[in-house]
Amino acid sequence: MRELKIRKPTLPHDPPPIALAGMNARALREQRFGWALVSPSVFIILALILYPVVYNIYLSFFEFKLTGDNIFVGLRNYVGVITDSEFHLAIRSTLVYVFFSTVGTTLLGLGVALVMNKKFPLRGFVRSLILLPYVAPVISVVFSWQFIFDPVNGIFMDVFHNKLGLFAERFSLIGSPDTAIWVAILFGIWKNFPFTYLMILSRLQAIDETLYEAAEVDGASGWQKFKSITLPEVYFVVSALILLRVIWNFNKFEEVYLLTSNVKVLSVYTYLKAFTGTMDLGQGSTLAVLQFVILIGFILFYVKKVLKW
Amino acid sequence: MVKKKNPLKSFGFFLLILSIVAFSIFPFVQMLSLSLKYQWDWGNPSLIPRKINLEAYKELLNIGQDLKNVPESVLTLLDETPELTSLQRAAILSKYQSTGEVFPFLRYFGNSLLLSLSAALLSVCLAIFGAYSFSRLRYRGRSVIQRGVLFVYMFGGILLLIPLYRLFASMGLLSTPTGTFVGLLVVYMVQTLPVSLYMLGNYFRTVPFSLEEAAMLEGASRMGIIMKIIIPLSASAIATVYIYSFMIAWNEYLFASVFLKNYKMLYTLPIGLKTLFVSKNAIWDRIMSASMLTAVPVMALFMSIQNKITGGMAAGGVKE
Repeated sequence: MRELKIRKPTLPHDPPPIALAGMNARALREQRFGWALVSPSVFIILALILYPVVYNIYLSFFEFKLTGDNIFVGLRNYVGVITDSEFHLAIRSTLVYVFFSTVGTTLLGLGVALVMNKKFPLRGFVRSLILLPYVAPVISVVFSWQFIFDPVNGIFMDVFHNKLGLFAERFSLIGSPDTAIWVAILFGIWKNFPFTYLMILSRLQAIDETLYEAAEVDGASGWQKFKSITLPEVYFVVSALILLRVIWNFNKFEEVYLLTSNVKVLSVYTYLKAFTGTMDLGQGSTLAVLQFVILIGFILFYVKKVLKW
Repeated sequence: MVKKKNPLKSFGFFLLILSIVAFSIFPFVQMLSLSLKYQWDWGNPSLIPRKINLEAYKELLNIGQDLKNVPESVLTLLDETPELTSLQRAAILSKYQSTGEVFPFLRYFGNSLLLSLSAALLSVCLAIFGAYSFSRLRYRGRSVIQRGVLFVYMFGGILLLIPLYRLFASMGLLSTPTGTFVGLLVVYMVQTLPVSLYMLGNYFRTVPFSLEEAAMLEGASRMGIIMKIIIPLSASAIATVYIYSFMIAWNEYLFASVFLKNYKMLYTLPIGLKTLFVSKNAIWDRIMSASMLTAVPVMALFMSIQNKITGGMAAGGVKE
């Protein structure tokens, strides 16, 4: 195993293989030092991330009494959650939220990246301005969004009710779950498109200019150039970004809950179940397990079918 | 490239850029504008306040609050009810005099700052050694660690919230303010550690190995190399990762809301703002100026290192 590793061609930035003479003592020392350096981080991750995840699975088989006793209930929490119609609603909201916010973020990010890849005056300034939504703390921007959609003073109702007359009366878009989810999706797109744009832009800048020049000589139109040069070049970045976005949006809590607690996506539903009202920690941990299982299932499917690894 | 300046096309392009910028910054402009407006001006859709109102900022930053007058109606009420004891009087008056009771912004700000600064510091210190180890040294299990760090990305906060809450509560950590604070600090450190490890690991691989070799020939120890070569050469990357970790901790709401429920003194800015918003003291100008003051430190930090952090994110955020 050790021999194989040393003979394998090294990447340019990898440490070069150590000279074979006197390797054993040195390699041993290096091995020990390597573990000593990394062990605090590994210990912390094991103790405070992996162990809690396992503990969470364990908790999902118990019911918690206010007296502090835990009663083993087998699969009762799971049956309770799966037969609950609110859970089905939460799944549906999550799917709608994840699908539309991911599609929106990716398309907008791609479009903006294409625009920002062109030269224009003040480009550097514009590029940093449009990163602001991604950088600002969620809590500091949700209230501004709530004001925009405020039924009494908000600018949205001013434009669509007073100026355009699209709605017969002023109402709160965030007030009812059916419309609030679309506000949450729009908010998610606004908040996260800068990240997607930035990643795609850095890939676009690496494309060889001569490819476009050659295509122009052949008389290719703008669309043809996009389809046969740009798209294949960014395919991998875009599909990796979609995967990351799905993972992140599937677990999203803050951006939804702080904007509107009406939209009960899975994370919000779990939070409300576990930490408000009767504080059902048993069902809460069951929900967290189920959410994780669904996500892993999707990741495996996506990696096989879309990324074709 | 063939020169084809179509004025209609460039105007369209200009409009496109303008609308992208407007979409991105409109909520910020709205926030700033509303934080400066008087109540009678809220219904006015124009973004420019008819009259500038700085009261909300002064109130949050505790400037000139002692001079602020108690409403006349309250004073007359106090005059007309002589049966009140002096203690009750003082209590009524203090309600109007110290806005710190309504929303102690500076305290929340201080809590957030202390938590984020120390969590990021701990996380970056651990990550420097950890990342050096798996990006430079050879040993069994190193690739498992490298991949494990990536895997941890997939766990959402909610999956860790319930078990960590149970664990910390059963250890008795959540029954004292200090314990709660330490617990939250540990949580924030853990949440930022994988990202720090991953980003620093990617950066350390770009530091030329020949420098280390030269130092080793001169008899430098590995530890000496980390201290004298790796850390100074990676100063900008380390700063970037530090700020990134700081921002994650500064923005966190989920754990803070559960852990700090019973300790109002320890509230961080996100949970303080949310509590203010649902309370009866919610006034748009106060909320908006508090939002501005929460956003500005982070945005200023980001802008100061913008070029480096975007490069770092491109290198560290996506695995290619």
